[in-house]
Amino acid sequence: MPVGYSIYVERPSRIHQRIDPRTKLAALGTVFVLALAFNHPAVLAGIMLLLLVAARLAQLPWRSLLPFLMGSIWFLVLGLLIWPLYVRGGPQLFQVLGARIYLNGVLFGLAMGLRVALMVIAAGIWMMTTSPQKLTAGLLRLGLPYKAGVAMTAAIRFVPLLNAERITITEAQQARALDLRREPLIRRMLKSIAIIGPLFVRSIDVAQALALALEARGFAARDGRTSIIQIDMTPADRAILLVLAAACLVALALRVLGVGLISRDYL
Amino acid sequence: MAEVGQSVSGEPAIEVDDVRFRYAASGPEVLHGVSLRIEQGEYLALIGQNGGGKTTLAKHFNGLLKPVTGFVRTMGADTRTASVAQLARTVGYVYQNPDHQIFAQKVRTEVAFGPGNLKLGPQEIERRVDEALRLVGLREYADDFAFSLGRGLRQKLAVASVLAMAPPVLVVDEPTTGLDLQGSRSILDLLGAWNADGRTIVVVTHDLALVAERVPRTVVIADGHIVADGPTRRVLSDTGVLDRAFLRPPQVTRVAQRLGEFGVAADVMTVTELHAELRRAMGM
Repeated sequence: MPVGYSIYVERPSRIHQRIDPRTKLAALGTVFVLALAFNHPAVLAGIMLLLLVAARLAQLPWRSLLPFLMGSIWFLVLGLLIWPLYVRGGPQLFQVLGARIYLNGVLFGLAMGLRVALMVIAAGIWMMTTSPQKLTAGLLRLGLPYKAGVAMTAAIRFVPLLNAERITITEAQQARALDLRREPLIRRMLKSIAIIGPLFVRSIDVAQALALALEARGFAARDGRTSIIQIDMTPADRAILLVLAAACLVALALRVLGVGLISRDYL
Repeated sequence: MAEVGQSVSGEPAIEVDDVRFRYAASGPEVLHGVSLRIEQGEYLALIGQNGGGKTTLAKHFNGLLKPVTGFVRTMGADTRTASVAQLARTVGYVYQNPDHQIFAQKVRTEVAFGPGNLKLGPQEIERRVDEALRLVGLREYADDFAFSLGRGLRQKLAVASVLAMAPPVLVVDEPTTGLDLQGSRSILDLLGAWNADGRTIVVVTHDLALVAERVPRTVVIADGHIVADGPTRRVLSDTGVLDRAFLRPPQVTRVAQRLGEFGVAADVMTVTELHAELRRAMGM
């Protein structure tokens, strides 16, 4: 179990347990590069398919991916509404309110929606397969100072804690007849201070107590620090990294050659 | 002060009927069919071990929690259908940690927040604020910076900010946490004075010694059940019941019980009483 609030889903899959967090970070980066390199919806849909296969291999339940997939639909709708008004080329499909809509415009809109969806879903899969602790361990090995690493995990850990504080504060103020829903907008904003104020003070209190407790246990007494989580690059990791690097290079080359694009005029 | 179980006017202040509660639909049941009747004008302590369900039950009184089955009525209003803000007119709830509610810069503004939410006129608010601050002894701090007060004074400020709303029923959750003996006593005295005006007070605590000294009726809750309910003297001297709730009678009561062989009564609650008992037993 990961500590604190995260969308991480513990699974006995290779992607969860065997692959180094650094490799997974590189894979996320690669998806971003690929998503930006192409703007043809067929290519992007192919990459999306690969992503979903990866999610399957990671034994992620479809239900956990659902919020990301639903969110992606909005990006698709938005892309299809906006881009056809700007991108021309290909056969004309129809006319709305005096604007001519071309096939390329529709395809480009689809591609832009897919592009955002790709990034969102890739980030989702990445967070669901990499526990916050392993992620931090990976970043530390990449040279992140360990105090920054602790700050990062502490921040993740604090989300549920501060949420509990927020709920208690809200209850305490409700008991003093605060009913934000019944107030007009401006007054609602002004009265929100009754919740934000104590939350702010409590956050500082809690952070200060944590800092003291950490220091009392010798935090930062030495420069280096060992970690209970050991991560190692295996040959499989190296092979994956090689494939990822190759994919990035090929994608860039194809971009220069103009393959896999609907329009050269837009990214 | 009203006697235990005696009603000032017909309607009970709080009526809990066979309430069952769980925090999550699939989670464990926390209250297993609790029934309780608190008359208007009573001063009652809800005691029990941590995690026994005291606060869970208390949060039902002002609708912060709604029963899964059964019902709670406060001054006749069903908490299932009223919002917390509506119920706040009749039930005041003081939280354990004053820092969960203090937000205003000045003490006076903090106390005025509740009455303001009740949409009272400015003169009435000012009158109530002054009255509440006088009651808790914070009048000289009225224009001070609220966060700069010490812990004991912040606790009093939290109480004052609810008193200013003048609710007929007042629920106070662990008012003595983090306070020294003097601070704790002065909070309970304050609640006693408020009760003497005919208002109903429920205090949630595990400080049995203070309950013994000051609160007439005690309800013991353990593992989601009410295991004892009656006059404090009877409940707190019943070692068997307290054992079940993992509580022990106040020290002075335990001393008296040990001295039973010398004819000292087993239901001694205060040092003064023990002194009198000893004198009597020794024939002085």
